[in-house]
Amino acid sequence: MAVSIEWYLFLSAAIFSIGLFGILTQRNALMFLMSVELLLNAANINLVAFSLYWGNLTGQLFALIVIALAAAEVAIGIGIILTVNRNFDNIDVTDAATMRW
Amino acid sequence: MIGTLAADVVLFGPGIEAAELTALFPLLTFVIIVFFGSYLPLKGAIPGIAATGGALLVALWGVVDIATGAGPRHETLLTFVEGVAGEGVTLTFGILIDPLAILMLTIVSLISFLVHIFSLGYMNDEGEIDLPRYYAGLSLFTFSMMAFVFSDNLLMSFVFFELVGLCSFILIGFWFREAGPPSAAKKAFLVTRFGDYFFLIGVVAVLGTFGTAQFAGSESFVSIATEALETGASEGMTTFLGFGEQAWITVIGLLVLGGVLGKSAQFPFHTWLPDAMEGPTPVSALIHAATMVAAGVYLVARMYGFYVLSPTALSIIALVGGFTAFFAATMALVKQELKQVLAYSTISQYGYMMLALGGGGYVAAVFHLTTHAIFKALLFLGAGSVIIAMHHKENMWEMGGLRSEMRVTYLTFLAGSLALAGIFPFAGFWSKDEVLFETLVHGLGGSPVLLVAYGFGALAVVLTGFYTFRMVFLTFHGEPRTDLAADPEPVRWNVKFPLAVLGVLSVVAGFLNMGVLKEIIGEENLFLHEFLDGVTMDADLDAAGLSAHHYAEVLKADFAAGYEVAELNPLGPGALATVLAVVPVVGAWYLFRGPDVDPVMTKLGGLRTLLMNNYYQDEYQVWLATGVTLPIAKVANKFDQGIIDGIVDGTGGVSLFAGERFRRIQSGIVTNYAALLTLGFLLLVLVFALVGGWI
Repeated sequence: MAVSIEWYLFLSAAIFSIGLFGILTQRNALMFLMSVELLLNAANINLVAFSLYWGNLTGQLFALIVIALAAAEVAIGIGIILTVNRNFDNIDVTDAATMRW
Repeated sequence: MIGTLAADVVLFGPGIEAAELTALFPLLTFVIIVFFGSYLPLKGAIPGIAATGGALLVALWGVVDIATGAGPRHETLLTFVEGVAGEGVTLTFGILIDPLAILMLTIVSLISFLVHIFSLGYMNDEGEIDLPRYYAGLSLFTFSMMAFVFSDNLLMSFVFFELVGLCSFILIGFWFREAGPPSAAKKAFLVTRFGDYFFLIGVVAVLGTFGTAQFAGSESFVSIATEALETGASEGMTTFLGFGEQAWITVIGLLVLGGVLGKSAQFPFHTWLPDAMEGPTPVSALIHAATMVAAGVYLVARMYGFYVLSPTALSIIALVGGFTAFFAATMALVKQELKQVLAYSTISQYGYMMLALGGGGYVAAVFHLTTHAIFKALLFLGAGSVIIAMHHKENMWEMGGLRSEMRVTYLTFLAGSLALAGIFPFAGFWSKDEVLFETLVHGLGGSPVLLVAYGFGALAVVLTGFYTFRMVFLTFHGEPRTDLAADPEPVRWNVKFPLAVLGVLSVVAGFLNMGVLKEIIGEENLFLHEFLDGVTMDADLDAAGLSAHHYAEVLKADFAAGYEVAELNPLGPGALATVLAVVPVVGAWYLFRGPDVDPVMTKLGGLRTLLMNNYYQDEYQVWLATGVTLPIAKVANKFDQGIIDGIVDGTGGVSLFAGERFRRIQSGIVTNYAALLTLGFLLLVLVFALVGGWI
């Protein structure tokens, strides 16, 4: 008995909402990064769920690509966080606010 | 299509087949002098002399060619805009060599050659600086004029007409470190440009009306216009503004005439020419005799087949010409500076040429153009020689008695003056007499306007004789009035040689066309007339519509100008012209001979003041510029700055202000960006929901 598609979508929406809440409220850069990961993986769940639903592998392929992308993004993200830490002695994302008009 | 060079251009061949060389030699020289002028011996004079000398040989060879049967040559050299599939206009550069063109090429190259040699004495020997610029200007000037002369269409003429104007600007303003010359150059440029503006409209009108601007051949605008008037077959031409065919031809003719009046310094555009005396004297000689000023008259002669279609245009030309001849001569009476007298005499003499053209005397006009080129170049170069001798003093009251110290200059200057005054048998006599005679016979044939113009011309003869010999007596006769005049600086061969050549020509050039004696020597011995008629050519010049005979035929036709020719023996008017010329010369001798000369012209009182101030022509033109044009320009400027620019600036200002405010949402805080992203996305979803009708 397969799990029906709605449940996957509910899970995905829930994770997405948690991630969105995270990027809107968290000041800690690590938490921020994790929230972004949550957003990405919410999308991944959707892709894989629909792939299963339609019996088409394309969705899974895209999920793999997103995972690879997320890995790269984390690598860069951690690097940025290190630099922020070096410059501001903390990792509060709202401190680095000089790149603007 | 751009830049299609005709494949069969013959660059090196004899005579008229190589006539392009007359322009290409000076162009090459110009390039050489511009790049290497400062390294050349004599600062570029030698290539200039070689190029103009070469051009003179080619032109003379062309004369021989045509005199032995060749020509006319009409060839397209370069097509730079091609009409698509028979639609639209085709714009070309081409070469048209007929007797008129080859004659003019000869004159221009001869004068330019002699002016180059004279410049050695006037510029190099006097230790002037910046000579490469001077010689480069002369070369470019010669090139432009040559190309203008052999233009085969009106657009090409216009292009080189403008280039001639530019070159005169460069050369008149040669001594730009002083105050006068740049101002004079600017004036010459602006005044002629004012006329050229009408010329430009005329070129566009010709292209719009006829679809072609060619001068010669059955497809030319001249032929189409003639055809339209002769047979009523008007499909070749499109008139505008509701004008009839002949009226529209008149309008076009008058538009082009605007450029002519400006360049040839005819009333009321003559004011630039006396000021142009600020340039070096050899340049004055070149401008007045063969290039700049001659260009206007030459253009009318070039498209004479078109002008003879319009009696109105011809009357205006004749009247303006006659009036200018008289008007300028009056001003020459009181001038104290040698070159000023010559400047006004130039305006006056070009008035005669216009008078002849308007009066139906095509050959007379070309003849006077030829003889005037010779004697006016001579007089200017003679004046240059005097100026060298006088250490650049030009006031005639500081001279006197130069005749014994400057033998060659005196004799040649005298020959030129006799020619200018029109004394038998010097060159000017024959040509001026023919101008007056042609106007008279056409006037007596039933054109009262021409008789009025003739009257002006005849009066001008009297004044010409007087002011010319006033100048000669004041400069060369009597006792030296200053120490400088008592001990003038000697001039060298490079001054005397051009004077000698031109002096001889001033005596003999009249025999080209002894119109006065045509009843005695027979029409077939009027060499210039026969030459311009194409009698010597194997091809039929009448058929090409370029011969004097063809013009005379059209002139008499009812559909065209409809001039009648009165029967008149030329001896009578010839005798009258001689008397009119000799009497004032004797008068001038009576007033200005002797060691102590009274300044008798001061007895004219208020009239003299008026003449000295040139009838306040400059003043009213300056008033026109500052009192009329400037306020209008200011209003236009207000409109431009306020309304046009206002709209543009307003748009920019609003964008700038909005941007200034909007950029504040760029806070630099990453959380805000995330919030805005989310809000934006929600907004988008909302819009889609509303538009898509989900709600």
